[in-house]
Amino acid sequence: MTASIRIFLAALLTVAFAGLARAHPHVWVTMHSELIYAPDGTVTGVRHHWAFDDMFSTFATQGLESKEKDKFTREELAPLAKVNVESLKEYDYFTYATADGVKVPLTDPLPDYWLDYKDSILTLNFTLPFKTPVKAKELKIDIYDATIFVDFAFAKDKPVQLVGAPACKLDVALPREMTFAEGKALSNIPADQQNTTMAWGAQFANKILVHCP
Amino acid sequence: MTSGQRSTLAQCALFILCMLLVFGALDVALAQPFGMTRSAPSPEIGGFAGWIFAKQAEFYRMMSGTIRAAKADGSAAYTLMGISFLYGIFHAAGPGHGKAVISSYLVANNETWRRGVVLSFASALLQAVVAIAIVGIAAVLLNATAKTMGNAVRVIEIVSYALIVLIGLRLLWVKGRALLHLLRPGAHDHHGHAHDHHHGHGRAHDHGHDHHHDDEEEASAWGHAHALEPAELKGPHWLRRGLTAIVAVGLRPCSGAIIVLVFALAQGLFWIGAASTFVMGLGTAITVATIATIAVGARGLAGKLAQAKPGAGMLLLRGFETAAALLIVAFGALLLTGYMVSERLVGI
Repeated sequence: MTASIRIFLAALLTVAFAGLARAHPHVWVTMHSELIYAPDGTVTGVRHHWAFDDMFSTFATQGLESKEKDKFTREELAPLAKVNVESLKEYDYFTYATADGVKVPLTDPLPDYWLDYKDSILTLNFTLPFKTPVKAKELKIDIYDATIFVDFAFAKDKPVQLVGAPACKLDVALPREMTFAEGKALSNIPADQQNTTMAWGAQFANKILVHCP
Repeated sequence: MTSGQRSTLAQCALFILCMLLVFGALDVALAQPFGMTRSAPSPEIGGFAGWIFAKQAEFYRMMSGTIRAAKADGSAAYTLMGISFLYGIFHAAGPGHGKAVISSYLVANNETWRRGVVLSFASALLQAVVAIAIVGIAAVLLNATAKTMGNAVRVIEIVSYALIVLIGLRLLWVKGRALLHLLRPGAHDHHGHAHDHHHGHGRAHDHGHDHHHDDEEEASAWGHAHALEPAELKGPHWLRRGLTAIVAVGLRPCSGAIIVLVFALAQGLFWIGAASTFVMGLGTAITVATIATIAVGARGLAGKLAQAKPGAGMLLLRGFETAAALLIVAFGALLLTGYMVSERLVGI
């Protein structure tokens, strides 16, 4: 048994066990989000529209009663929506906000959440209010599942919108499109300011960046 | 084989065993609530592991499209089988599917590699059957919701993980006692003894008599202490012994399989979905069996070391077996308490 065989065996085992302790995503979510502003220029909350993939949409609606086959009304989906929202709480709704580098807490969704079912796609719509409305020069919102059970991705067209905002710069960082967004966002920072909020590395989180005057 | 080569082989085997145990222990030590930290996901999971991870997700995503295609065109079902098979192979590399428990069990029990393969396939088959049963009963017969299926899985999980803990404790008792026996002053070692038969070697052939104890006083893992009986443990005994392990590992179905099955059902293709699940199980079995064989091989070579180096060698071997048993208990306990999560089946 030569040294090279030993190394090969060690490599084989390393591969077999190391770094594989994650399950692959079982749910894919395509997102549209809105940042809601109050007249005084503070951000009051984040509204999400999460469209699930077809396999999970079918799985989630399995066994639900509906008047028309393969069609669900808002009312028929209401119990499922409640279950969804309640189980999301445990995971902080997968949404994390930072204002000027300081973490900002989000609270439970407003009671007007609902589920849509259209063309076999289930979409969850809900609004996450900030505990206190936020006024910040630099607002950053990350959306991700750290366990990678759910794969989040912003939709290609108009993924994020500012509703009622003063003149702010909006940047959306899609995973794997870091360089473009990073470049744009970098241009928002004054030349002499520390680049701490831009320390993304190669992270996979979907990020919303709002730079306000 | 010269003694120099044997000794190198044995060293290698020990090294492999060490790594197996280290990684197993690492898995256990790094387990956190829901399996992960809450920080942002780390970048590209390095290299090969990252590729396996990506492939799993890729094949899984392909399944919905292929199932839809199969609805229109029957021949797409063959593509589905191919994808399911590949998915099973890659997916078993991730958490769950009993890799760690089966490997530890084989090491602790000194089972042969052939039996390791059989155990791997049996538990993978059982997983497929359970997934089909859950969806078949819950969704097809009862038109139950996903939540109900999730609850059923949760109950099965508890039974499965509890069994794993029990198996581990039993093995720990037996192997730990054997280890302590060796450590006791005045204990007399059976080494290079005619009773030592270790054949975990990858190319070993099944002896007519399998000896799972090296010491006349050591009890078999299913625990009645008795003197060495050369002719025993032949035939069905090992399967009966392994049955608990098969059930413990195989009971918890693959979450992905359940989601795929429900989707197939919704397209009116439940039986194709069932076939796909079995094929997935086949792929899973191959991966688990491969890793199990490596574990058995390492243990067998380590056994040769025990023969070559009396006293210390046997001690080390018993130490490994005890450590493997301990790992099984740890895995079962962490899974049971929800501290470690192999897969989630969630209503989001």
